[in-house]
Amino acid sequence: MDFRYFMRRFINGITLMFGVTMITFILMVYYGPDQTYALVGKNPSPEDIANIRHKLGYDLPFFTRYLNYLREIITADFGYSTYFNEKVSSIFSRTAPVSFLVSLPGFVLGNVLSILLACLAVFYRGKWVDKVVMIFAVMGMSISLIIVLLAFQIIFCTSVGLNWFPVQGWDVTSFSSYLKYVTVPTLSTVFVALGYNTRFYRSIIADEYSKHYVRTAYAFGVHPWKIMLKHVMRNTMVTITTRLIYTLPFLLISGSLVVESFFNIPGIGRITYEAMTTGDLPIVKAMVSLTTVIYVGIFVIIDIVYRLVDPRVSVK
Amino acid sequence: MTEVNDHKSQSHWAQSFARFRRDKLGLASFAVVMIYFIIAILVQLEIVGSGWDDFVDPMGFSPPSKEYWFGTNFNGQDVFTRAIYSTKVAFQVGITVSFISVFIGAIIGSAAGYFSGSALDEFILWLNGCIDAIPYLLFVAAISFILPDSNTSMYIALIATGWVATCKYMRAQAIQYKNYVFVEAARAMGSYDLRIILRHILPNTAPLILIEITINFVGAIKAEAMLSFLGIGIKNGISWGIMLAEATSEIIAGHTNNFLSASLFMFVLVIAFNMFSDALQDALDPNFQK
Repeated sequence: MDFRYFMRRFINGITLMFGVTMITFILMVYYGPDQTYALVGKNPSPEDIANIRHKLGYDLPFFTRYLNYLREIITADFGYSTYFNEKVSSIFSRTAPVSFLVSLPGFVLGNVLSILLACLAVFYRGKWVDKVVMIFAVMGMSISLIIVLLAFQIIFCTSVGLNWFPVQGWDVTSFSSYLKYVTVPTLSTVFVALGYNTRFYRSIIADEYSKHYVRTAYAFGVHPWKIMLKHVMRNTMVTITTRLIYTLPFLLISGSLVVESFFNIPGIGRITYEAMTTGDLPIVKAMVSLTTVIYVGIFVIIDIVYRLVDPRVSVK
Repeated sequence: MTEVNDHKSQSHWAQSFARFRRDKLGLASFAVVMIYFIIAILVQLEIVGSGWDDFVDPMGFSPPSKEYWFGTNFNGQDVFTRAIYSTKVAFQVGITVSFISVFIGAIIGSAAGYFSGSALDEFILWLNGCIDAIPYLLFVAAISFILPDSNTSMYIALIATGWVATCKYMRAQAIQYKNYVFVEAARAMGSYDLRIILRHILPNTAPLILIEITINFVGAIKAEAMLSFLGIGIKNGISWGIMLAEATSEIIAGHTNNFLSASLFMFVLVIAFNMFSDALQDALDPNFQK
């Protein structure tokens, strides 16, 4: 029985991979940017153009090109970036750690703080604490990330404001220089994340908190905060972990495209943004396909692990 | 709950309206949204904001004054007029994207839910999964590559990603409704599946559709700002996102005209719309999960 479930999940994952790679192939490769005219010289003859097209593989039939694309994904070999003239894999190994360092503190703080705020809001449900937290959350989710970035830059990085941190860039050699460059990006992402996260966590924690065992524990005289932190938190952990794991691939691979290009931080996000604007296809291809494949992979693995841990879980 | 019981004879809509009318914050936010909507209409009728592209100030970067309420920008264009005109752009994007994507999501989602377990349902779930897996900004960027120099690519990208959430909610609703007695009765009387979906299931999910439109509207406005900021949104025009993009190179030099006006206009509209959306959810469906 379980074997059949795993097989079904596995096949489901394979079909998803097929769909995702097909969509990205059609959008980015088949109809993607055409490099022919960037590579031919001046006044090209029709033969020159045909030669270049042949070299780039544009004259191959649809499915051959799709299979080539699949081979690139499976071997994780996307060739050379046309803009940097460097192997895509080496660009990635250079930029991925930077993205990780930039987005990790924001990710951790954004989630920990919003879980704490959500607990506080549920604990004082309907009281002024709850209202203040929720108004703050609505503000956080209403303000665009770009506005927050600009505002924090004005406040913390310019001579108009406090001028505590560098305006942009990434010149990290020690822990103190890391703190110098990471603080403002982190503050901005945390501010925006607090809005959505707090609302989400508040709704699941409130659901759990209104269950009967909480009332029973309360009646037995267990300290309210102990109920909240020990029992309610433990029971909501599954939902919270799932959410965290699902956002992980986007965090680690796409990084924060907007934040990095705004602060001119040489992470994966900025590299991808530049690749998008210059039409550097190998990088964009690598980015999108790796993110999606890892996402689908995690999707399937989580389902199977949850099923192993808790047999009541089934395909949603 | 007592006030709800007093209105037992009223329809669901009348009860909801009564609940909404008691929500002062909801009413206030609705009023703000309406003011913005009127501005958008006035711009559309070319009564205000038509001079957004005129070069009025030969100096450039004038501070706010009686004549130019938010000052002028680098080119000497009036920032306030540009912000007013952008209101129309925001509503254009919001209305187009939210209506089309909710329409598509509602039809496809209710069909998937009604035929849950069938090949059609599997296919729709598969499609949802595929779109969820592709990083949003890159998806949009890829579409802008195919359709350069036009706003259509942004609309297509926002709709292509926007219908999925509605589709999932509608599917769940339709699965619930299809086992209800009124659907069984309709089927017993010989209604076709299509007729059951259109006449019996969809009307019952109308509150949800209304809520989804407001959520999508806010999402579209915010996404437009983000995409315009990255240079893949509005092209050959003006929007709050483009004003913010212009501001990035100006604020270090201390010119905050563009930034202050665009963020003020956008923030007030989005927060009012979010609060209106919350109030609508509370009024229409007190049990709806926020």
